[in-house]
Amino acid sequence: MNRALGLTGLIIGFGGSIVAIFMLIGALRTRRADLAKMGRAYSLVVLAGAVLAVVAMQLALAQRDYTILYVAQNGSSTTPFLFNVAAMWSALEGSILLWGIILAGYITVVAHKVRKRMDDPLVIWALIVMFAVSIFFFGLMLTAANPFVANSPAPGFDGPGPNPLLQNHVLMAFHPPMLYLGYVGFTVPFAFAIAALITGRVGEGWLIETRRWTLFAWGFLTAGIILGAWWSYEVLGWGGYWGWDPVENASLLPWLTGTAYIHSVMVQERRGMLRVWNLSLLCATFSLTILGTFLTRSGVVQSVHAFTAGSVGPLLLGFFALIVAVSVGLIGWRGDQLRSVGRIDSAVSREGAFLANNLVFAALAFVVMLGTVFPLIVEAVAGDALSVGPPYFNRMTMPLGLTLLFLMAIAPVLPWRKASGELLRERLWWPAWFGIGSLALSVVLGARGIAALLAFTIGGFAAGSAFRQIALATRRQGWRGLVGRANGGMVVHLGTIMIGVALAASMSFMSQGEFTLARGETAHIGGHTVRYVDSHTVEYNNRISLIARIKVDDKVVYEPRLNRFRASGQTVPTPSVKAGPRSDIMLSITSAPSEDDPSLGLRVIVWPMVTWIWVGGLVMLFGTVLAIFPGKRRNPLQAVSEPTPMELEHSR
Amino acid sequence: MTEVESSASQNGADGLGPSADEHVGVADAPKGASTKVKSRRAKQRQRWWWWLLMAGAALAVIVSSSSKPPTEGVGEERLFYLASQLKCVQCVGESVAGSAAPIAVQFRSQIREQMGKGLTNDEILDYFASRYDDVLLTPPSRGIGSLVWVLPVVVIGGCALGLGLAIRRWSETSGQARVMTDEDESLVAEALADDD
Repeated sequence: MNRALGLTGLIIGFGGSIVAIFMLIGALRTRRADLAKMGRAYSLVVLAGAVLAVVAMQLALAQRDYTILYVAQNGSSTTPFLFNVAAMWSALEGSILLWGIILAGYITVVAHKVRKRMDDPLVIWALIVMFAVSIFFFGLMLTAANPFVANSPAPGFDGPGPNPLLQNHVLMAFHPPMLYLGYVGFTVPFAFAIAALITGRVGEGWLIETRRWTLFAWGFLTAGIILGAWWSYEVLGWGGYWGWDPVENASLLPWLTGTAYIHSVMVQERRGMLRVWNLSLLCATFSLTILGTFLTRSGVVQSVHAFTAGSVGPLLLGFFALIVAVSVGLIGWRGDQLRSVGRIDSAVSREGAFLANNLVFAALAFVVMLGTVFPLIVEAVAGDALSVGPPYFNRMTMPLGLTLLFLMAIAPVLPWRKASGELLRERLWWPAWFGIGSLALSVVLGARGIAALLAFTIGGFAAGSAFRQIALATRRQGWRGLVGRANGGMVVHLGTIMIGVALAASMSFMSQGEFTLARGETAHIGGHTVRYVDSHTVEYNNRISLIARIKVDDKVVYEPRLNRFRASGQTVPTPSVKAGPRSDIMLSITSAPSEDDPSLGLRVIVWPMVTWIWVGGLVMLFGTVLAIFPGKRRNPLQAVSEPTPMELEHSR
Repeated sequence: MTEVESSASQNGADGLGPSADEHVGVADAPKGASTKVKSRRAKQRQRWWWWLLMAGAALAVIVSSSSKPPTEGVGEERLFYLASQLKCVQCVGESVAGSAAPIAVQFRSQIREQMGKGLTNDEILDYFASRYDDVLLTPPSRGIGSLVWVLPVVVIGGCALGLGLAIRRWSETSGQARVMTDEDESLVAEALADDD
């Protein structure tokens, strides 16, 4: 029953997308707006199909309907409600289903937004591209990644439930949907970019049209990545918030190119330059979401996240190749129209800074990509096994990250076209003192180490610049000085700086230790005392938990757990973390007390400033929301750049 | 509020926020300077040696506080530094420092033992590298593995150089007016014809 319902939904989504494309192409050929309107309306059919499939999957999970293979593999009678709902995206097929419904949702909203412009070929082509992407994903679900494969369970069969790591923290219910809202959201600007290339309207119109969509997708991608880091911090405990795991890298790659795009697009809007580059960045961002899905879901790169080894690899890789080929082909075809009208006058200018920013983001993306796929390439070419791990990524990305911080300090005060040294010295005076103050404070508080102190100094400098811009804007415009792209962007910068500083602090000054403690015994670490009080076990529906009570500094009681899941038999620790503004203390049980050895194995980590990563993430999101709000409209006649020499002579 | 600041806010450069900054963009001097009323503080800002002093002092403080990973002793800090350089061979995507697996626990006790014998960091890592395949998380700097270090430097350096040259070329030609070619003219004619 559920299976039939789900398959019907998938077929409706697949068929609806095909019919929509035929109608829209028909509308383009016959120039009939009514056909286009009907094609547009099919977005609702696709959405209905996706909703039907998701409802069927949720019903099947709720009823533990083991006649569906996916439920038999990922459901269990002992899984609590929330994680049972989240089981839909805990493995490959279900996460493609999540992708499908989010894509259908985006198509529907876009189709609604453009309802009055269905005689515009640009809009029609954009919808065609989106429906084509939807054909691929529904097609994928009907073939290689079918979530509704039949299964005949033995009587009394009970599934293993989702991977224990995935049912250990409530964040798992939110991190994947957020991430996918970001990934899939880039389909919209991508579709408009392709449509602009096809129709030849490669000017700045499509950029402005998709500005908010891009920010929206970027905001969700940012939120998804940070939530993922938080999840891994809370659940994996020891590994920390970021392990340069291929799955994490796969989510970072489109974020890097997307962030580069958000910046360089301003150069195109203002000066009409970088058209090819912007189109390439956007196409790269979208194709990297697909490549990331391929890397993580095909099992090609083993990692803690690659829970599944699917047969979808070749299909995803083929789709990726198709996107790249179409993008490159179209950009090449329209090459003559993509020539820029503007020229860069000086490297020391706003556009020069954006170019430098793009270079660094592209470099980061290159390093992350290379490090992620390098072991695969070496294995394929030379047959050697080698690892590219966190030491490599940290060493390579650190200088690039510091460069970005530095650019964040300089770029916001730079004018377009050309800046003089005098102007820079005037505008950067206070921000520079902010940096010096930040350095002095760090040294007084006992911070040492070149990388960390550089990060704190440049971070302070950059924060000074952002504060300066915000102060100037709010002094003049009141609360309106906080909204709009430039002003909201400064708030995003502040959040980014917070994260950068917190990363530097937590990586440089973390202290950790491993102890074996008898009851009542005390250990010392990082200026804290840790005393093992006692432990007991609690039986839950789906797991047995050993709970230890640990007193830190003779005040706060921590309760780290060691869980043994009944369905899978796996043992997973739940660390106990208490966050503080200066540092977090994290306790994790490494070995349970037994009959023979009643002492407790305990790992203690003191992480400085980690809380500020999450606070910084919130600030970034807040800034993104501010940036999405329309700012004060600029009078188009207002001059925004250096007057030409001619005009200057006149005015004298 | 000093005179500088009030004059600065008149000049539209500073008082107008981000979009305002775009206003000025002037090469030579902010208008505030042209009012000829400059406070001492404003002059200070323009002295290059102030900036040099500031940057120099900051750099001196930063460089003098270098902290290297611990190279001797048996402390936990050194243990976890070494453990973070080693891959947990039976886990997926975890280092010896970051894993709870029995093999990682065993590795850590081996590291402790080696530290106790007074071996250097390199000797300890070599010890593991000689016993296990693919155990180092840092790719080798010899052989095919060195490409992962060299490629980014070459590619990023090349791109930076190319970008720098391109900007120089652009800025040299930016003053010249662009001449309309026949091709441009035919494009315009085509576009106009389309509209009719």
